[in-house]
Amino acid sequence: MIGPFRRTRRPKPPELYSPRSKPGGDRRPVLNCAPTRTDGTFRRAIETGRSRLLITGAVMSFAFVAVGLRLVDLAAFASPTATSAPMHAETAYRMHTDRATITDRNGVIVATSLTTTSLAARPDRMLDPVDAARKLAQVFPELDPAELTAKLTSGSPFVYIHRKVTPKMEQAVMELGIPGLEFERDETRVYPHGPLMAHVLGFTDVDGRGLAGIEQGMESVLKGSDDPLRLSIDVRFQHAAHQELKKAIDTYSAIGGAALVTDVRTGEILAMVSMPDFDPNHPADSPAVNRFNRATFGTYELGSTFKIFNTAMALDSGVTTLADGYDASEPIRISRFTINDYHAKNRFLTVPEIFIYSSNIGSAKMALDVGPPAQKAFMERLGMLQPIALEIPETGRPQYPDVWAPIYTMTISYGHGLSVTPLHLAEGVGAMLNGGMLMPATLLARDNVPTGRRVVSEQVSYDMRRLMRLNAVYGSGKAAQVNGLMVGGKTGTAEKPGGSKGYNRRSLISSFVAAFPMTDPRYVVYVVLDEPQGTKETYGYATGGWVAAPAAGAIVERIAGIAGIAPIEENAPEIQHAFAIDLPEETKKLASLRQ
Amino acid sequence: MAIRHGELRQPELTLIQKIFQINWSMWLLVGLCVGVGLAMQFSAANGSWDPWASRQFSKYAVFAVAMLVLAVTDIRVVLRYAYVVYALNLMLLIFVEVKGAMGGGAMRWISIPFLGTFQPSETMKFVLVLALARYFHKLSYEDVGRVTYLITPALLIAAPMLLVLRQPDLGTAIVIAGGGAVMFILAGVRWWKFALIGGAIVASSPFIWGMLHDYQKRRILVLLNPESDPLNSGYHILQSKIAMGAGGISGRGFTKGSQSHLNFLPEKQTDFIFTMLAEEFGLLGCLVLMGLYLILMYYGFVVALRAKSQFGRLLAMGCMVTFSFYVFINIAMVMGVIPVVGLPLPLVSYGGSALMAVMLGFALIMNVYVHRDIRIGRQGDAGG
Repeated sequence: MIGPFRRTRRPKPPELYSPRSKPGGDRRPVLNCAPTRTDGTFRRAIETGRSRLLITGAVMSFAFVAVGLRLVDLAAFASPTATSAPMHAETAYRMHTDRATITDRNGVIVATSLTTTSLAARPDRMLDPVDAARKLAQVFPELDPAELTAKLTSGSPFVYIHRKVTPKMEQAVMELGIPGLEFERDETRVYPHGPLMAHVLGFTDVDGRGLAGIEQGMESVLKGSDDPLRLSIDVRFQHAAHQELKKAIDTYSAIGGAALVTDVRTGEILAMVSMPDFDPNHPADSPAVNRFNRATFGTYELGSTFKIFNTAMALDSGVTTLADGYDASEPIRISRFTINDYHAKNRFLTVPEIFIYSSNIGSAKMALDVGPPAQKAFMERLGMLQPIALEIPETGRPQYPDVWAPIYTMTISYGHGLSVTPLHLAEGVGAMLNGGMLMPATLLARDNVPTGRRVVSEQVSYDMRRLMRLNAVYGSGKAAQVNGLMVGGKTGTAEKPGGSKGYNRRSLISSFVAAFPMTDPRYVVYVVLDEPQGTKETYGYATGGWVAAPAAGAIVERIAGIAGIAPIEENAPEIQHAFAIDLPEETKKLASLRQ
Repeated sequence: MAIRHGELRQPELTLIQKIFQINWSMWLLVGLCVGVGLAMQFSAANGSWDPWASRQFSKYAVFAVAMLVLAVTDIRVVLRYAYVVYALNLMLLIFVEVKGAMGGGAMRWISIPFLGTFQPSETMKFVLVLALARYFHKLSYEDVGRVTYLITPALLIAAPMLLVLRQPDLGTAIVIAGGGAVMFILAGVRWWKFALIGGAIVASSPFIWGMLHDYQKRRILVLLNPESDPLNSGYHILQSKIAMGAGGISGRGFTKGSQSHLNFLPEKQTDFIFTMLAEEFGLLGCLVLMGLYLILMYYGFVVALRAKSQFGRLLAMGCMVTFSFYVFINIAMVMGVIPVVGLPLPLVSYGGSALMAVMLGFALIMNVYVHRDIRIGRQGDAGG
């Protein structure tokens, strides 16, 4: 084994440090010469070194095993539902205040009254109003001594000096010992969530009178009861809608927008956001225009989302079926109007195709088949012609033509000529999906669900689920898809009135209405953006499918988790079968190319 | 035949030989861990290379080459410059401290034009091990037993630790103190001294408690019962536990973790990335990553056992232990075993400084492996 060359080398010393070389680990000759000291100290040093190394290694392995076991314990034995946190948010309890507390549906306080102190003066009982003014100005640096003096010497028998005095300030004023000063107890309205629910809650004036929103609409209830008023809003849903709408508005530089989440089964509004908004704690700090409620007060021509109603109406009246179709090869010309298709196909389209390609021509022909009087009656039944009886005063009155001429029947079929609020649309879409019953929208938590009013048959409602699902899979609503949640939806892009030809091509109302899960619809999510601008990422497009659908999808994804709607396998055969709609070959091919 | 002094006893390796000696499998394992990290950062950005994964990858590429260069650098050069590197790193820490004091508020990093930010406290964890290894290397067994010889290394540990505590970064301070203590243990400092120091720490804990910031106190208290405060301090741990439970055995699938993608999970690309892994790849994914860590730690241990020089032994084991501290503290933190102290998961979390520091540690271990048979004199010269 030892060759002639090895003989010249010194014998290999005993390995002192390394216990064993890995077989084949050393490729180089070992030529070192270990010290041959074997005295006690040296050996002890080596032993200590070795044992310390092994002890450290053992402790490390032990810690590793312990962490690993804990991991197995957490991941494998803890069920996610058992660990989910109970809501420990501050809950409202009965306490006498002049104005009742308002909570969300889970009891989270969203508006409450705090007792505060106001400082008032009766100048006629004062010994030296000028000196008093000087001293008070030292306690309240924000007060102007000259102004205060003027107030106290104006001859008025009673003046307010400062509202919302803190206990510390109160003590300081008492220490001044000025006669003729009085403290009054009153209440301040506090909105712990700030602007989150601005347009839902509204705000109050200094005297505690509601001036907008629930505060105004429910004034008598709030004044007359100590029980908290429970809203239908879920703060968590509201937060998701608020955040995603804000993000979309910022991204697409829109001048405003609205987002709504409603429960299709009960009509309850779970989230309602209008932007720009304001802080109800300080309403005067924001421009007055911010108080405009785009979700329930602003009326808009909402565009193609109306094709949901138009298609349902046509199917319900029996003039057409999902297997029928209309010729959409030529634009319709009536007097000075021309009805064009945005995604023109220039051929015969089936009813599902009219829906997913959002064909104005097809929709108009469908509406004409139903006829103007029947259309008006349908819209009336769907509540599209009256303001919604909501618990807030800001409810917009729909605008529609006095004379329901055929041209209006055609334009209304694709959402022009009839202006409604976004809430009208969300309420209507809910009725299309929940089995055909219109559930009146409400902002108050609903324990007893009313029966509602039938607007379409159950079969048509079932068809609409399939159509909206189809549109979200093949049509313009792909951006709102969330895997496993069976989202359905419809885009809407309308030009705002104005400009040279009656409509302004640049200023759009872009919206997307989503609903999920289409297997058994629970929630409608509606996002409207007012005058969004396209970005590089959207190739300059500012249409509903590009700017509103992603926001709607994001809201759906977030609220599904909160609502505990578990994702399902969308490609399961029974679901595919239930939602199958026959489409011509060309559409199937084109579907993969479309956005 | 003219033989220069020491030539026979001290085989000098050529560069080619050294390259063959490099522990390539360790280098690849490090890359594999970084790969797991890139995947999770990709997922944390909702399936996008921007903003984290792409940047992290470019940093990794640079450090991976630097690692090899450091691995083949002569270990005696490493030993010789150990104090210099330590001094430089300490100066950077002081610089951060001074700058932070002037700017107001906590400052942990230095901005470097074009390269981003650098956190000197991260590299300090391994540089301290390097300095201590050098110090203990020159001590004889008898010297280690003398208290006077322990003052200098104690100061070496205390200086960066106090600076880091002032930042305030409790996690890093713990790793620095722990790493330093392990170096003492490895060097053979007598056990009774540890008992003494341990007793002193317990006795002084009320004062330390007083020095902690309110948020640090709250984190320790919340640890005992995270459900007591689900909206504030307990939030991290609670969401993290929910995510882990949701992941179950096999996870919810890549980029499908709801806790992490829906912004429930804070710091998902850095300190809480393990939770994301747990949610998306489940227990299996976690065990795979922990398996990778375990192999890396085992390698470090074997390298330390095989090193013939005291310096190499201390350096390899110290780096390995520091790395393990990172792993334990982070994983235990996200599982709610210890308080949230803010420490990244090594090689996986997003962040250049931590990546650089941990890869520096492994480069040092690789260096020790390449030079495992080199004997180093007490002053860093050749010979034993």
